[in-house]
Amino acid sequence: MDYRKLVELIPVAKWEALSDKLVDFILTSKNDEKMPSPLANTILHYWQQDILKRESGLAVLLEAALLLEPDKTVNAFTELQMANIAEQIKEALPPKEGGI
Amino acid sequence: MVKFGIEFVPREPHWKIMYYAIQAERGGFSNLWITDHFNNRNVYVALTTAAIYTNRITFGPGVTNPYMVNPVFTAQAVATLNELAPGRVVLGIGAGDKTTLDTVGVEMEKPLQAIQESIDIIRKMVSGEIVAYQGEVFKTAGAKFLFKPKGNIPVYVGAQGPKMLALAGKIGDGVLINACHPKDVEYAVGCVKEGVNAAGKRFSEIDVAAYTSFSVHEDIKKANKAAVPVVSFIVAGSPPQVLERHGIDVKKAEEIKEALKANDWGRAFSGVTPEMIGAFSVCGTPDMCIERIAELLKSGISQFVVGSPIGANVREAINLISQKIIPRFKT
Repeated sequence: MDYRKLVELIPVAKWEALSDKLVDFILTSKNDEKMPSPLANTILHYWQQDILKRESGLAVLLEAALLLEPDKTVNAFTELQMANIAEQIKEALPPKEGGI
Repeated sequence: MVKFGIEFVPREPHWKIMYYAIQAERGGFSNLWITDHFNNRNVYVALTTAAIYTNRITFGPGVTNPYMVNPVFTAQAVATLNELAPGRVVLGIGAGDKTTLDTVGVEMEKPLQAIQESIDIIRKMVSGEIVAYQGEVFKTAGAKFLFKPKGNIPVYVGAQGPKMLALAGKIGDGVLINACHPKDVEYAVGCVKEGVNAAGKRFSEIDVAAYTSFSVHEDIKKANKAAVPVVSFIVAGSPPQVLERHGIDVKKAEEIKEALKANDWGRAFSGVTPEMIGAFSVCGTPDMCIERIAELLKSGISQFVVGSPIGANVREAINLISQKIIPRFKT
């Protein structure tokens, strides 16, 4: 999935609210082991520069949130009135393990 | 003006702790303490990450102990950290907890002596001396770094009992008092003052911190719920005289201890009463926490450390502390 392109689809007015939700999903996730170290370090680097609410920050948060909490992340798009993007993400996500 | 510190336990992965550390630094905290237990991730790796990702906050192990980590190694670790983040490194050291030491078969031998000797050794090593030390617990034969350590590293002594508190006042640059209730902190500060006076120092020369179990939330029920597991362990580990001082039924505490031993978390946590939460944590809404911190400050502490669990949601709790609590003590 091209996360930068995905961010381009999101209205700028919703970046802050989405970033806030994604950070929360990532920090409260019990799926820590799914976080790749380089991605974690990039998130910290962007947080240090306080750019997690900007385009590049949102792209890395989306990548991490979709790895750690895919369902919550998709739901967040629906909650923020971006159901069309939620659908696109669902289609792009790999099928769940154990599925038919 | 009181300083605010925050404690993290590296049971969490480094990226979560560092997210919170950056947030805490931005939110007005001045000290970051990372716990040191062999069964969590390594404290010095976490502190190295803190040196890289933070800019101003003072940080250090809170606390290490000389039984698991030889003082020479501790000196090496903090001296190296101080190269990465000059002037921002402090060392918290205490006798450790007996249960953990028992797990790895290490005896807590002469704790007062061990702390005094290890601090002597660490200070000498960090100042670049060749250390030939003949203590009762620790001995070195001409130990010296092959690099030149830079700067001074303040040493904080983690203490609970009266003798260790007095020693902390006597030899420490700071003291980490493991207590939450004003009665306990007031008593502890009195013991620290005895040590300070014995050393001919002024009380204002040392940084005295109340190292608390803390939980804040706008909804008191959520704050309490987050505090319960931590309080259950504190109650289970408290001697009868401490429980009685707070009017806590020793039998109830014993029941919690038994439940924890049996890994029966539901039974253990349901045994925790509001009195126990009040005695062994600073817990509640921001206003309630402000009131308790203000009470603690009357005893003369100069640093308030927010320790586990911090809140039901750590990120939200740090925001609450930064926005609603710290500003109330900055005027």
